[in-house]
Amino acid sequence: MKILLTVFRKELTDGIRDRRSMISALIMPLLFPFMITFMLNQKADQNREAFEIDIPVVGSKRAPDLIDWFVRQGYDVIDGPEDAETAVRDEVHNFVLVISDEFVERFAQGRRADVELIYDGSRAETSRGVQRVRNLIREYGRMVGRLRLTARGLSPSLGTPVGIDDIDIVSARERSAERFNFIPLIVIMATFLGGMNIAIDATAGERERSSLEALLVNPVSRRTLVLGKWLAASTFASASIGLTLASLLVALSRVPLQQLGIELYIGEREIVGVMLVTLPLALFASGLQVMFATFARSYKEAQTYLSMLVILPMVPHLVVSSSSLGEAWWMFLVPCLGQQLMIADVLGGEAINTAYLLMVVLVSPMLGLLCVEITSRLFNRERIVFGR
Amino acid sequence: MIEVRGLTKRFGTVTAVNGISFEAADGEVTGLLGPNGAGKTTALRMIYGLMKPNSGTVRVDGIDTVTDRLAVYARMGVLPDSHGLYPRLTAREHMRYFGELHGMSGASLERRTDELIDLLDMKAISDRRSEGFSHGEKMKVSLGCALVHDPGTVMLDEPTNGLDVQSTRAVRRLIRCMRDDGRCVLFSSHIMQEVSALCDRIIIVAEGAIAAAGTPDEIMRQSGHGNLEDAFVALSGLDEVRI
Repeated sequence: MKILLTVFRKELTDGIRDRRSMISALIMPLLFPFMITFMLNQKADQNREAFEIDIPVVGSKRAPDLIDWFVRQGYDVIDGPEDAETAVRDEVHNFVLVISDEFVERFAQGRRADVELIYDGSRAETSRGVQRVRNLIREYGRMVGRLRLTARGLSPSLGTPVGIDDIDIVSARERSAERFNFIPLIVIMATFLGGMNIAIDATAGERERSSLEALLVNPVSRRTLVLGKWLAASTFASASIGLTLASLLVALSRVPLQQLGIELYIGEREIVGVMLVTLPLALFASGLQVMFATFARSYKEAQTYLSMLVILPMVPHLVVSSSSLGEAWWMFLVPCLGQQLMIADVLGGEAINTAYLLMVVLVSPMLGLLCVEITSRLFNRERIVFGR
Repeated sequence: MIEVRGLTKRFGTVTAVNGISFEAADGEVTGLLGPNGAGKTTALRMIYGLMKPNSGTVRVDGIDTVTDRLAVYARMGVLPDSHGLYPRLTAREHMRYFGELHGMSGASLERRTDELIDLLDMKAISDRRSEGFSHGEKMKVSLGCALVHDPGTVMLDEPTNGLDVQSTRAVRRLIRCMRDDGRCVLFSSHIMQEVSALCDRIIIVAEGAIAAAGTPDEIMRQSGHGNLEDAFVALSGLDEVRI
């Protein structure tokens, strides 16, 4: 036990002094969340732009009441161009609203009066603004309709014989959790990147700088050596998880989530939950990495293997989400996939199934230990020790 | 005390070591001498238990190195053929790490480390990271790591290989010192002068087998040559191959 601590401490010191190990453990978790929030911020900007559109109107004097309605809703109305269609085609305006003389006449007579909304349907980026204006006009129409019915002594509900009551069984929070699918992915990637370098350095690196032989002629079992190296790599991976979550919290606090229609609540329960679910994954990821890196003939080869391993966590997620499989109990037994589902549940504020949680928390360390056992046996092979 | 009986190692169809038997006694320096590729390193790797022999046994102080490897390591100091260092650890940290792997700790470990730094003349580099150490400096650190637990049996694979005169002398002094303390020292070399300067007993290895064994005088007598170098060349079969 004391010897295990010695090995662990030495590998940790070695890792902390290694710039490469530190970069892979620190840079990604610090950068990635900010990259994500940058993207979210841009999306929020797009949403905001939809609110801040100017509405070009031709013949605005013909419907002062409608214009007034636009202004009251917080939009600016500008004079539209003479040739509306050309202006839209030349992308001078995203759309133009045209109010004709006929409108005035029909409106005054209480008949259906149409305005023309000219836009280019092939320009996807303008659709949001067009949709917004359309809704504004529709709402205005409904309001006028209700007023007219009331003025004639009729119930406004006559005009809307059928209505829809929206009952979405997914809570706003759950729906938001769906949109936060990337959080488990980032955390899991941090897990795989955090301990990667130290896992290579402690195994393939040990052989490459030919320090392995001298290490093995000490009265320490190979299992103890591998355990120490594994725990050191896991510590790096765990630190990476912690940092990622922390920087994610900071980054998300800078995103106007409400403008994105996202309701995300991250409190103590969520942080504890995510940590509880992902920290065991560190033991699995590091175990896998130590095993593969031991198997590799050189440092370079180990790097190649482990880079591919970083992609591995995405595979089960992709398979499940593309195969229209529902959530099944066995999925919680698959490392990475189980974590993803569990984090989604935790962030979605759903009730946590204790049995599933136990599976997610226990399977990864067990598989990690299995990898350690296999690695210890690899270290008994002359081919591995002497690099034949 | 090291007892080697009928040690054989094959790699595929090549027999690298073929039925080597010898004893290395306490209080003596035993040298394995042989040209490059004679099987010295393979033999040593089996003797210090990192390679499994196809047949034969090795006992260190009566303990079998195949079946009870860890017990043997506790009483043995090994400088293996490849003895790289950790570039981000200092010389002192190296010795401390290996000492702790041997279960040492605290003041006794610090005292022993200081002693070795003194013995191996490493004061100037003791607290520098090993990155950028010269060949000789690395060798000294590796020797320090091998000897930190003050072992009764010492095995050194080419300990003076590539060292300058001063470092070579320091290593020789250390080996003699250990012999005078009554330890068993086994080392290998392909350099004749190295062996003749240090060894009480010489084992000449050629093509995986023992060509001759005995004190330097006995070896010279066996070969019928007046000096050790001629004896070595004649006994290791080098004269047939070269010249």
